[in-house]
Amino acid sequence: MTADHGVGVDIGGTKIAAGLVSEKGQIVHAVQESTPEDADLIAPAVAELVNRLLASDTTGPVGADRVGGIGIGAAGFVDADRATVRFAPNIDWVDEPLAANVGRLVDLPVVVENDANAAAWGEYRFGAGEDTDDLLLVTVGTGVGGGIVHRGTLFRGGFGAAAEIGHMRVVPGGRLCGCGQHGCFEQYASGRALVADARQRVEADDPQASPLLEVAGDADSITGPMVTDLAQQGDPMCVDLLHDAGRWLGEGIATLAAVLDPSVIAIGGGVADAGDLLLDPARAAFEEHLTAHDHRKVAEVRLAALGNEAGIIGAADLARLDH
Amino acid sequence: MPERLALGFDIGGTKIAAGVVDEDGRVLARRGTETPSTDPMAVLDAISTITEELRSDHHVRAIGIGAAGFVDATGSTVLFSPHLAWRNEPLRDAVARRTRLPVLVDNDANASGWAEWRFGAAQNEPDLVLITLGTGIGGAVVIDGQPYRGRYGLAGEFGHMQVVPDGLPCECGNRGCWEQYASGRVLTRRGREAAASGTELGRRLLDAVGGDPEAVTGRQVTAAAEGGDEEAVAWLADVGDWLGVGIAGLAAALDPGVVVIGGGVSDAGELLLGPAREAFSRTLTGRGYRTEARIVRAHLGPEAGLVGAADMARLTARRRRQASPGARVRVRAAGRSGRSPRRRR
Repeated sequence: MTADHGVGVDIGGTKIAAGLVSEKGQIVHAVQESTPEDADLIAPAVAELVNRLLASDTTGPVGADRVGGIGIGAAGFVDADRATVRFAPNIDWVDEPLAANVGRLVDLPVVVENDANAAAWGEYRFGAGEDTDDLLLVTVGTGVGGGIVHRGTLFRGGFGAAAEIGHMRVVPGGRLCGCGQHGCFEQYASGRALVADARQRVEADDPQASPLLEVAGDADSITGPMVTDLAQQGDPMCVDLLHDAGRWLGEGIATLAAVLDPSVIAIGGGVADAGDLLLDPARAAFEEHLTAHDHRKVAEVRLAALGNEAGIIGAADLARLDH
Repeated sequence: MPERLALGFDIGGTKIAAGVVDEDGRVLARRGTETPSTDPMAVLDAISTITEELRSDHHVRAIGIGAAGFVDATGSTVLFSPHLAWRNEPLRDAVARRTRLPVLVDNDANASGWAEWRFGAAQNEPDLVLITLGTGIGGAVVIDGQPYRGRYGLAGEFGHMQVVPDGLPCECGNRGCWEQYASGRVLTRRGREAAASGTELGRRLLDAVGGDPEAVTGRQVTAAAEGGDEEAVAWLADVGDWLGVGIAGLAAALDPGVVVIGGGVSDAGELLLGPAREAFSRTLTGRGYRTEARIVRAHLGPEAGLVGAADMARLTARRRRQASPGARVRVRAAGRSGRSPRRRR
């Protein structure tokens, strides 16, 4: 039987989601579980979830013999061996042999991918990058992540840590980042930055902030989706906040385009739900700041297409194609 | 068995350098001339003349040209050159018509990067990032034995990464470009200012060039630093610091195993690279949880460009001769698997 399916797993800070994914990138069946607090229990929880997914009679005609492998997308530095998580920002792992720990509890080969790299592969194969061989995915969520596909190959870098674009320094001596550095890209162009700026406007008693304050109740309860919702209703301050984040985003991708020269730049992650409220200012800043703009073909900046399923779909596809 | 030789050209804003290059990257014969920078036809004539001269003694099988400008991804056209009169110049076909040899055109930094990967500082590495520090900053990337040119051939323009929002104006029209902080022009600018205002270092620099402040360049600053002048050492350290910060940004995006520093400014050696390594380590994200790139000096000097251009042309011409339609299909199929292609040499 041909392995025309793969399993993709997305390990998030609050939940673990797994999906059985067809060779066309369709999620045939999905299950999820909350993430155990004890980091040592995550690998068994992943294995249990995958086994449950594959045992489920709801998968219909897809039996385990048609599953080529398991791909796990994890936030953090994944070693070039695609088996070890060297460091994860939200889970207490250092040099965690995740593929081995899951692999001994399941009957299929396991690979580990950086979550944004997996998402980039998913978008390239089945989403916003389907029509190109050279895609840069920028995920704008709580932080900023990225993935690079060049000539149809996922680019992982020499040691597996490529496309950590949220940690390019964009402002000397700038805002302190969780990574310990100052001025990282994700301190200006992420959901976290959006919320921090919104809180600042509220705390400064900006009269324009009253609609947001009304929705949130207090400054600490402001979330990114609240800002996006209000902006979509035309709230001037929230439009402005997204505009600022979009401008930073555009300047950052201009730098990335100087280095990588992709043909498509896809913007994903939760903040991209704001659509053109984020992308229009990003495109404008990108074009203004791209070097040699008048002498080159300029990459197209578009919305990612697969939403938060990109990681699962991409990880499953990478695992399937390998085996 | 005849030697497999190729002819390499490095066409810069002021000089054309050419050489016959063998399979091991050795230069067997050389020619050079000034670049007729305002006349594309005269550049073609110069290339033809040098080719005929060098061909009379050497059986060259291909021509590689590293050009100071934007070259399209197919290696045929110079889209734009800031220092030459080329605008959408179909250089490959023009040279091929005149010489009846297979021709490959690439950006000069890409050619240098290829040479350093094949024969120089990154010889046994799977990948390389080359940073050329001259008046500006150029760059090249080699990944798994393939030059990384980007979709349209314009990857590796590291000098125009924005490192300071609303920073110093750049000739490219933007502000805050890396090359305004970490290239030779910084040393030249500071050297001329010091020469004009008559500081102690300024006087020393003026003496070195015979009295004209506008003749001062980074070269004299480097010489002063090597002679122990503390202020000149500090300037180089400052450039090195910006260099290291930018490399950290590149490493966040590309995660290379080795970063090779070439170009004239790299002659300053450890006076530049010491501070660069320090700043790189200080500002690299995820320190302690990743393997860090080594930062090393280029090995091949100013001939890297012509050596790399010749070698790429030789290998490309050989692949064309050997390629069968079946082989091409297999390569394409492998390319979509998500695996890195095997290293090819």
